[in-house]
Amino acid sequence: MKPAAFAYLAPRDLDEALDQLAEHGADARVLAGGQSLVRLMNARLASPSVVVDINRVPGLDALAVTNGSGPATLRLGATVRQRTSELSADVATHAPLLAEAGAHVAHAPVRSRGTVVGSVAFADPSAELPAALLALDGRVVARSRSGERTIEADDFFTGPFRTSLDPGEMVVAVEVPAVGARTGSAFVEVARRHGDLPVCGVAATVTRADDGSVAGTRIALCGAGERPVRARAAEDALTGSDGGEGAVAEAAARAADGLSPIGDCHGSADFRRHLARVLTGRALRTAIHRAAGEATDV
Amino acid sequence: MSTVEDRPTTATTGSPREGERRWVGRSVPRKEDPKLLAGRATFVGDVTLPGMLHGAVLRSPHAHARIVSIDTSAAEAIPGVAAVLTGAQAAELVNPMPAFCAEPVPQTAVAIERVRYPGEAVAIVAATDRYIAEDACAAIRVEYEVLPAVVDPEAAMAPDATRIHETLDSNVAFHRTLDFGDVEGDLARAHTVVRTRARWHRMGAQPMETAGAVASWDPFDKSMTVYSNSNFHNFLPWAFAGMLGVSTNRLRMIPCAVGGSFGSKHFITKVLAIAGALSKATGRPVQYLEDRVDNIAANDNVGCDRIYDAELALAEDGEMLGLTLRIIDDYGAYFQFAHGQHGNAMAQPTGPYRISSLRYDVSCVLTNKVQQGFFRGAGADPGNFVLERLVDKAAEQLGIDRAEIRRRNFIRPDQFPFKTPPGNVYDSGNYAAVLDKALELAGIDDWRAEQERLRAEGRYLGIGLATCQERTGYNASEWWFLYDNPPLPATSTPESVKMDVDAMGGVRVEVGCPLWGNSPETVVSQVVAEEFGIDPADVSVTYADSTTGAMSAGPGGSRLTIMLSGATRGAARTIRDKMIRIAAHAMEMDPADVECVDGTFRAKGAPGTSMSMADIGMRAHLFFHDTPEDESSGLVAVHTYDHPYSTPPSADRKDMGAFYPMVSHACHIPIVEVDPETGVVTLRAYYAVNDCGTVMNPTLVEGQIVGGIVQGIGAALMEEYRYGEDGALDTPTFREYLVPSMHEVPEIVVEHLETPSPFTEYGVKGAGEGGRLVAPTAIASAVDDALKPLGVWVDELPMTPERVVGMVTDAREGRP
Repeated sequence: MKPAAFAYLAPRDLDEALDQLAEHGADARVLAGGQSLVRLMNARLASPSVVVDINRVPGLDALAVTNGSGPATLRLGATVRQRTSELSADVATHAPLLAEAGAHVAHAPVRSRGTVVGSVAFADPSAELPAALLALDGRVVARSRSGERTIEADDFFTGPFRTSLDPGEMVVAVEVPAVGARTGSAFVEVARRHGDLPVCGVAATVTRADDGSVAGTRIALCGAGERPVRARAAEDALTGSDGGEGAVAEAAARAADGLSPIGDCHGSADFRRHLARVLTGRALRTAIHRAAGEATDV
Repeated sequence: MSTVEDRPTTATTGSPREGERRWVGRSVPRKEDPKLLAGRATFVGDVTLPGMLHGAVLRSPHAHARIVSIDTSAAEAIPGVAAVLTGAQAAELVNPMPAFCAEPVPQTAVAIERVRYPGEAVAIVAATDRYIAEDACAAIRVEYEVLPAVVDPEAAMAPDATRIHETLDSNVAFHRTLDFGDVEGDLARAHTVVRTRARWHRMGAQPMETAGAVASWDPFDKSMTVYSNSNFHNFLPWAFAGMLGVSTNRLRMIPCAVGGSFGSKHFITKVLAIAGALSKATGRPVQYLEDRVDNIAANDNVGCDRIYDAELALAEDGEMLGLTLRIIDDYGAYFQFAHGQHGNAMAQPTGPYRISSLRYDVSCVLTNKVQQGFFRGAGADPGNFVLERLVDKAAEQLGIDRAEIRRRNFIRPDQFPFKTPPGNVYDSGNYAAVLDKALELAGIDDWRAEQERLRAEGRYLGIGLATCQERTGYNASEWWFLYDNPPLPATSTPESVKMDVDAMGGVRVEVGCPLWGNSPETVVSQVVAEEFGIDPADVSVTYADSTTGAMSAGPGGSRLTIMLSGATRGAARTIRDKMIRIAAHAMEMDPADVECVDGTFRAKGAPGTSMSMADIGMRAHLFFHDTPEDESSGLVAVHTYDHPYSTPPSADRKDMGAFYPMVSHACHIPIVEVDPETGVVTLRAYYAVNDCGTVMNPTLVEGQIVGGIVQGIGAALMEEYRYGEDGALDTPTFREYLVPSMHEVPEIVVEHLETPSPFTEYGVKGAGEGGRLVAPTAIASAVDDALKPLGVWVDELPMTPERVVGMVTDAREGRP
């Protein structure tokens, strides 16, 4: 379990990093927290010839709330640690789902190294944070030497450990719109052990209208397909409903519609479909309660 | 069923009266801890020799394949690579690995022509560092012709199944049926016969430190020095010498501190052969330490992998009459230790119960998986699982309380020593008292009330119960008595120490066993302290290499504390007696009037005149003329303690003899909560009452029990080797093969009952495996209890979320 030889580069600023990524293209991998990449390299499942360590790049560790003309946006730079996000008051206020999902990622020492952006860019279909980003209607800010673009989370994840990033491009931040009033969220998962990747997890947000009906919902699943996926049939079933137990049960029953989970030794595809239904129901119940301002823990 | 008529002739004169002991029985701080906790113990990975190279292994991706060709040229061309060896090349340097089986199942450390399990070594490399060695492995080109993989042991038994070894007529390497007592009569007489088809799955020890060796071949005097974490360097060093192609008197094996074993490192012949072959090929020292992937794929410690068809015959009142066990055991691709795991299981197949007949039918089947070795429990673990499952099922079917049916059938205290149907003898016990104490410790009524309360909320709390044996202190006959014509019918499992008192009165003990994760230094020091009345902190303990003549079977079968107590006490008494004679001579007294108290030798009852350890030490070392005439100089004793009570098997194998007679007992009561929708099982609390005879050191025993329970939690809930239909290992890393972390372990409350063994020094019994021997079946019982409203019955582990949901679904839909 020793990595193949590689060149280690430690750029001092973003331009230098982008130059290096442009030069080495697909042969290069970005190193942020190293909690996924280093393991893959040790197992020789990844053997990049160049590793670009962005930890010395100034400014990437910013966690900020921007208030433009529209609603507030939470922005997490590429080296913001998962533990920082999890404990941030801004995250708790504007995107509590990110903190709740983040607390399920591995163990605190791992989260003190691992980054939110790193987990998103790694695109493990079982991981919590990509699903949370999807449920939060977040986006990915990607930059290369030729410029910057914003990719909606819905378009970012393309397959297992695959994204729509181009060679030479890196994720500099993720952005999440601040949740509004009467919006509740919840993250629930089943993992084999505390801190393991979930067999299946559900991130959900529910927004209720003035009359209490469900104005909108986003339900994202991890461990239920080749990438983090929206449970759109469940979303459709719940949207416009009264948010009562019947509607939740109907939505949960449809949570696995269209899913193609990848079975492994922790759970078959069928079991993951089963969990998707059970956990969607649980996540929605909690999110709906929270949307109504009721403090209910999962 | 009978009691033992002949008391053991080797039984000791008896232990001191209760209350007289000062150090045996105390929680003396573990002497091994400081160096381990500070990271200053020397493990095999810490050994660095001048010019040392590092080994790595290329492993087969296939479960079963013919090796068509191997091209090592690109690997050899990498700068820093010193040697690349195929199986055929390695076979010119080292011999096949020793095996205990009588059947022709040869096994080499590096495969020749054919690979038989995923992860089997195909080529080995030595290079200037491990990185380069792994680069070289990646550069080796192997062409395979993939053969059909034999994965399912029952399918493997078919006459037309693909054969794993052409040297055998069938994949059933061994089959035997043995009846003890009137099996047919008991079945016919039974009011109820409870049946189960149960599965005990593959697990491994997963020690924190993997197996490893540093081998250094000296081509001039044809000698080899080996540092390793093996246990058998002072038990079977000649077997290692034969494998390494070194004469027995030119092999020096040096034990290193071991980072956990749990039975996993007795032999570790693969790493020894690999390091040895590479050192011979290069003329330089070579270190080969398995990494985690190596260890999981190709270790020597995968435990039993059994399918049971079991029947328990009972009378109407719940009296257990007879037990039949039909077992298919998937041994994997080789037969390294033969059926020693079944010899082991024969020590206690009928558990703590008065069951008078037993049928034991075993088929040892070969498949394309890594071969079985030994792992904590060593063959008795599945037996406990199945027997306790049957007892719970009998209680359910007969409408008798789980505790009550056990109480009715326990061997009574007045029936010891108790001879079991297969012949092994249980020394002592008070099983009902252990059960009662456990029920009280757990506060069982409070948990029943909590269970009621939660059921009203739709939650499922379960209370487990298991009462199991822990046979401790094995004798070698268990390895071979299932054969009529065993290849090596050894009868010894010795343990020796060499003790000396120096001229200044310092006590030093050299033990033959390694530091394998248990506590030989502490135990030896406590015994020395007990015998001389000195502080255990003042005793120095060192480890003998294989050139000193030390004899030691080492830790294994929960024997070490028993055996070290005997060896150390024997040596201490020899030296103490000599010191008494010297002191008596100096003080002009009769030796019978001199006693040793608090490290001083004085007239009995007249503490005025005395000599210190140093006074006598100096006299013994330098003043020959001032000692009694027949005393030689010095204070040295070597004491070998052989098995305290063993008898040979009968020629017709109707009686396997006494071979594992120090029998501890435990009752475990785990409390679980089960989420039937997600299948998640959470342990809420855990209670264990253990009786391992006289407790040598409560802290050490608690550590053994808690650690074993944690491994039992792993067995019950998560640990599992899984193979795909093509034979691929689906659990090659710790992301797939799961072991419990602290988050999965509740607070474990342990209490003791002490029923001394009449066979051993101080009355100690072993305690090394009890936790794991009881916990899996206890937790299964708890899950059953939790899901009783749903009609679930657990007969297969681990209880993964998917399996639990499957059981709930099957029960709801009325499937068996």
